[in-house]
Amino acid sequence: MKKPQRRGPAPSAPIGTLEARAAEALAQERFKEAIELYKLVIRQDPRPEWKQSLADAYLGRGRALAAKKMFKEAAMVLENTLGADGTVRDPLLYLTCLILDGQQQKAAAHALQYVGRENALPAAGQTALDELTAALLVAVPQRPVPVATGPADSAASERTRWLELAAASRDALAAWVNGASPDELDRQLNRISLRSAFKPVRLLLKSITNSPQDAERSRRLLEAVSPGSPFFPFRQAVEAALPCERGLDADGWNRLSQAQQAFVAQTRGLSPATAQFLARSAEAERSGPAAMFALLLKQPDLPPAEVRSACLNLLPQLPDRVAQFEKSFGPLSALERHRIQALAAEARGDWEKVERSWRAAAAAIADADPQAGLSRGVIFRHLAQLAAEHREIEGDDSDDPFTNPVVSYLERSYRADPDYVPAVLELIGHYRKDAQLKDWHRLADEAVQRFPENSAVLLAASESAMARKAFKKAAGFAHRLLKIDPINPTVRRQMIELQVAHARKQVRSKRPDLAAKELSAAAEWERADAPSALLRIAHGLVDLQTSQGEEVQTRLREGVQLAGGGVGGWFRACLEGELMKLAGANATLLRRELAKAREMPPTREAVMAIVSALGQAEVVENKRVVSGLLLGMRAWLTQATAIDWPPAEFQALADTLIRFGAFELLGEFARAARRREPTNPVWRFHEIVARADGNADRLYITETNELVAMAAAAADREDFHTATRIERFLDGSHEAPFGRRRRRRRRVMDDDLPESLDADIIHAMMGSMISGMPKAEAKRVRDLVGEFGREGTVVQLVRDYKGAFGGNDLPEPMLRMLCEAIVAQVMDGSRPGQARAGRRIPF
Amino acid sequence: MHDPFTVLGVNENAGDAEIRRRYLALVRDFPPDRAPDRFREYRAAYEALSDERKRLEMTLLRTNAAALSRLSMAALNSAPPGQARATRQTVAALLAEGIMRMATDERRAGEEAGGR
Repeated sequence: MKKPQRRGPAPSAPIGTLEARAAEALAQERFKEAIELYKLVIRQDPRPEWKQSLADAYLGRGRALAAKKMFKEAAMVLENTLGADGTVRDPLLYLTCLILDGQQQKAAAHALQYVGRENALPAAGQTALDELTAALLVAVPQRPVPVATGPADSAASERTRWLELAAASRDALAAWVNGASPDELDRQLNRISLRSAFKPVRLLLKSITNSPQDAERSRRLLEAVSPGSPFFPFRQAVEAALPCERGLDADGWNRLSQAQQAFVAQTRGLSPATAQFLARSAEAERSGPAAMFALLLKQPDLPPAEVRSACLNLLPQLPDRVAQFEKSFGPLSALERHRIQALAAEARGDWEKVERSWRAAAAAIADADPQAGLSRGVIFRHLAQLAAEHREIEGDDSDDPFTNPVVSYLERSYRADPDYVPAVLELIGHYRKDAQLKDWHRLADEAVQRFPENSAVLLAASESAMARKAFKKAAGFAHRLLKIDPINPTVRRQMIELQVAHARKQVRSKRPDLAAKELSAAAEWERADAPSALLRIAHGLVDLQTSQGEEVQTRLREGVQLAGGGVGGWFRACLEGELMKLAGANATLLRRELAKAREMPPTREAVMAIVSALGQAEVVENKRVVSGLLLGMRAWLTQATAIDWPPAEFQALADTLIRFGAFELLGEFARAARRREPTNPVWRFHEIVARADGNADRLYITETNELVAMAAAAADREDFHTATRIERFLDGSHEAPFGRRRRRRRRVMDDDLPESLDADIIHAMMGSMISGMPKAEAKRVRDLVGEFGREGTVVQLVRDYKGAFGGNDLPEPMLRMLCEAIVAQVMDGSRPGQARAGRRIPF
Repeated sequence: MHDPFTVLGVNENAGDAEIRRRYLALVRDFPPDRAPDRFREYRAAYEALSDERKRLEMTLLRTNAAALSRLSMAALNSAPPGQARATRQTVAALLAEGIMRMATDERRAGEEAGGR
């Protein structure tokens, strides 16, 4: 922006014009120009208001100069605003400028002018001015001469009183410095009024003399010296010097100013060598670990054990100083040496060295050490944590190359320190996530025996038992857990589900009496404000088997209503009946009620209630039962195709239909939706899925091409959800709900195998190659996946292996299959030979 | 956070019982209603040291800067506090520092007020 051109004073201009220009300059903060113009104006006509404006201009100029740290000049300019009473327009600014210019004597003398004046400043400013004046009068060694403004005025007597208080304060400080006794000091302090601005001096000295007897009282006294006070640095110094339950630490020391450090050192009676060390240590710490290390080695007066400890803790930052350290303090233990190497390697990100060094450190811990197990546990857990973050950490050489190093180190930690619950739970979580079922259940059982009162362990054990279908056992764990944590709603629900599941087994075994007992027991876990539809229905169905009469249906109907009533409620009851394998009149009753409910047209809520009922774990495992039920529901569900389904609900419905193989129904839903909204690719995708019975192998080429284009278009419009679903379907990924993992590719490859090769021999050869894979290769695969992704890694490996182990003799599809298997094994961390459906090598 | 061993005033070899005893004593002297900041500091230090494994983690896995603090502390606390007196010059320097600091704060406040 262009600076406005300043106009110089024009003495010949009329006074009105000059005044207007002066006012304009003042308003625009051109103070220098305003001063010159007002001077000219006042020379012609010294009107009071123009003198006032001139003072305003001086004040503005003074502030501008102070802002530029030109304190001497600012003070001189501000002196132009001196009134007849000897005061300036902004006394705090003027005093500040004088002080910052080093004119404390003048500042003290001037500050005294405001003592005893009423309303010299607003309240807050007056307090600050009083405190500053008091501090100046105490600090300045010679008594300032008061300027008389009138005979026998009250202000003059007040100034005299202030000067006496200042003298008393200085005397008290001098007495303390000269070693006066507490009594003598008290006499001096009693001369300082606690209502005066000199009160901080009294509080400071009183707190010092009190401190040996009552440090806490001393601290309370000091708290009365506010942070805005000029005596505050003194307060901080006294606080640091006071005896404290934990002493003054290095941080506290370094935060002190030079004067404060001198105060602390003098009052603590530190030796000159110690005081020098403290002064230099702050500087050395700022200069870095090498400077600090060098300084520490030259401290013969300090406790050697403390100096050794401080140097030892600097070594990870200075691994090349180990020899120097050993020369001064003797040899390091093997544990210390490896620990230093590991920490140094961590600092520079050398993860292979980190792993080697920490393992060596763990091995170096003497068995006789009472903390050996705990220390090893700490180190192995640390390694597990690092392994989760850094791919370079790959576990023990003795592990097979597919072992997840995190799990490997957690296992070692568990062996070293089996009593640490968080690590046990973490390991259980890993086993569960990695589908290492045998290890999961074994460890859950071990843990619950070791920690029978731990709620997290009981929950883990209960979940493990449930996964094994050991319902009674799971219920027992849940029962114990609820004794410890009675308001755990999740466990209450789980408990009810477990007991209902157990009751189903008993009904199926023709023991409805036992089932009734089980369900009665389950009822105690029901919360009054949240009755369980599942429990009421199950109990109602058992009632039907054990009793007669209309009233026995009460509980069943109650449950049906809780489950949403209508088709949704009765479907749930029928489903429960199927799971219990009810037959005869009772099954007929349920089917009749469901048929009656189906007379009502379908609603979204009713269909979603069915979807929700079909989501239970035990239901998913009984597909045949559900498929039969769905068949009966087909006509009613077909009517539901007319509903305008929101995509999220359609998705849930589609997943359920796919899960239970209801592809015809899915096709009808998809076609109906497509008629309503032809351009939405989601409907077309499901139409194709239904046509191919959820099997990507059955796709026509045109459909495959259409789906590939559809996925690309979805990705382009950032609809990654749809794109991923389509890709998973095409890929047959195990994560997709379609459950046909890589079958399509496998079929193609089997077709491609040369007739001369025995497929079983080749498969066996591949399995052997993967299980014998060197660790370095596994690491390389992980690196490649990190860099190029899985697909890119497969391409790279195919290229690499073509020239190795007779790779040229193998057809490329087979090589590709091998490479895919390698990547899957390395990244999913499964062990060769583990027969787990979801993770088996795909050949 | 400050070194928890220093905050609680215990050494690295202190056991669970000693640490707990020390923590309870400090909390009794500085309850949360009277000294909330101190209480928080003691609580954090106690939590960091309350378990043997946590203490081992601190001593094994960290480059412990507190060792330097402890050394400085040992130096600082090598003489009983409050027995000697400061010099006249030191007291004058503290008063001058206070006056300068207040003047500086006033100037900064004035600038901020002017800026607004």
